[in-house]
Amino acid sequence: MTANILDGIVLGLQFGLLAAGLTLVYGLGGVLNLAYGQMAVVSAIVILFSMNAGLPALPAVLAGLVVGGLAGLLLDGTILRPVYRLHGEARVLLSLLLTLGVAFIVDGFFNWRYPSAGLSLRIGGGPIRILGVPMRAGSLMASAITIVALAALFWFLRSTTLGRAVRSVIEDEEGARLVGIDPHVILRLILTLTGILAALVAVTRSMVAPVTVTAGFGLTVFALIVTVVGGLGSVTGALLAGVILGVVSTIAASEIGTFLSLIILLAAAAITILIRPSGLLGVRG
Amino acid sequence: MTERLSNAFGTSSIGGTEARASRSLISLIVPVLAIGAALSLLPLRLGDSRVLMGVAIIGVTFGCYAIAFNIIFGSTGQLFLCVGALAGIGGYGGAILGDTVGMPIIVSIALATIIASLTGGLLSWIAVRRSLGVIFTGIITLIFSLSFENFLLGLGNLTGGESGFLIESGASSFVRRQIPPYYLMLVLLVVFLFVHGLLRRSHIGWAFRALRDDEVAAELAGIDVSRYRVYAGLVGAAMLGMAGATYAFTEGRISPTSFGFAQVDVVVLVMLALGGIGTLYGPILGALVFSVVDEVLIDLGQLRVLVYGVVLIVLFLWIPRGVIPTLRSAIARVQNGEQESDPIGNAAAGDP
Repeated sequence: MTANILDGIVLGLQFGLLAAGLTLVYGLGGVLNLAYGQMAVVSAIVILFSMNAGLPALPAVLAGLVVGGLAGLLLDGTILRPVYRLHGEARVLLSLLLTLGVAFIVDGFFNWRYPSAGLSLRIGGGPIRILGVPMRAGSLMASAITIVALAALFWFLRSTTLGRAVRSVIEDEEGARLVGIDPHVILRLILTLTGILAALVAVTRSMVAPVTVTAGFGLTVFALIVTVVGGLGSVTGALLAGVILGVVSTIAASEIGTFLSLIILLAAAAITILIRPSGLLGVRG
Repeated sequence: MTERLSNAFGTSSIGGTEARASRSLISLIVPVLAIGAALSLLPLRLGDSRVLMGVAIIGVTFGCYAIAFNIIFGSTGQLFLCVGALAGIGGYGGAILGDTVGMPIIVSIALATIIASLTGGLLSWIAVRRSLGVIFTGIITLIFSLSFENFLLGLGNLTGGESGFLIESGASSFVRRQIPPYYLMLVLLVVFLFVHGLLRRSHIGWAFRALRDDEVAAELAGIDVSRYRVYAGLVGAAMLGMAGATYAFTEGRISPTSFGFAQVDVVVLVMLALGGIGTLYGPILGALVFSVVDEVLIDLGQLRVLVYGVVLIVLFLWIPRGVIPTLRSAIARVQNGEQESDPIGNAAAGDP
């Protein structure tokens, strides 16, 4: 049981990081980015090819992070431009449809060109015992990176001027505009940031299991489920929901089987929507 | 007065006085039958090729799905991302009732249709009762889709899991030959088209348009918005179930990918975007264009997915000067009395 809970926390932290990117963009700009998982896949492939070209792991990972950020910036500068002209549900809907198109473009290209490519980063060293449970070095490394990234994200949002600007836009876009914050600049910044987060998720996932070219849709769906349960727009909610769902699904997977564990995740999201549409800690209903 | 009348006749808005109703019935029957007749000639050209007939059958099946999705999403703004799952309830329901339970095919299809219809109505009812907006309706139906796929994979004993369900019922009858399935699906397509046309001409069609354009105003005008949403869910899902079940019996083998989200919902969305959301003939046009393009690009393999991505983006951004405003009025209920013309794409799709 302890092993399951620890594994669940490892998984849950990654869920949380994954959902944080999706939820920030939604909370800020009312943009639902369905190409989010594909951003992670693009970064994973870049890292894979950099390493195949002989680059050491660390610079390759950095290249992947840069590409992830650029992907976010590119999304903001191209197909999301027309989205920003709309408001309310129409904006969410158009962003959803257009990013779905982007997701197809990425999926179609990679499945055609590199159908069997997959990134898996091997972390050396034997299992390390935590609370009496032997944990794989890769899992621990992934969790450590995730925790540092989440801590950095929270620090950024709470303690920096820019981070406060971000939060003020989430809470009240008009008010933020009145005190001289340009929501579009903030949104561009956050899309770049979430691109980097997606790349980071690709890196940490690949330490536990391979990230393949077909992983994009699955990652987006996980992010969406966690985001919905945590509350659209709440990073704390995403982290909380991520850890809860991670633990629940890991326990369910080992006790009753993987197929039902996925159903449980989906059911959790469905029930959350029905009972508490704003999620655990949502800012928008 | 005569001038006003002729003006009224000249517009393409549908419904109205008794006199106009009878006129529009003819103007519905003629084009629908013409489409049916034109499509019924297709096997004369393609009948020799098993592959091309297969493509044609799938094209007509997807036309049926697109009409159903159009009734749910185009008419009442409910983003049902479970088109494949509802058709799959029909397909797998029919197969299980026919083979495992041992009912006659026609009874299996009828029961599967009812089950799918009730499921769709239930989803609609939940969305309406919890006043889920378009996004949450989309997310919850997407969740339903994914759960359904997982159940298909998980309940391997019943559904055959990943390798699929081999349907024994009707294996040696005419429904498995090369051409009859095409006509079976075509009959469904024509019936669905006709039903949708009738709906648009009835008070239900009026209610649909009113609630799509401005939900609050419709509610104030005495339209029971919830009820009409659930109607749309029931009717659309019944069509999906019937088409899915019929397709399953003619195909003889169904697998989770026959009704998967990526394989059905996404394609139907592209078809509808192509043809014009909310129009009567848009789904047919979309299904036709899509099937032809898909067949032409067959050699591209996975690269076709990329092409559809581009098509989706281009459609929603540039070509349909109307798709985005239509969406906006359908979903965000941004009302503007003047702008309320008939749904965009009518001209292109030749809507009467």
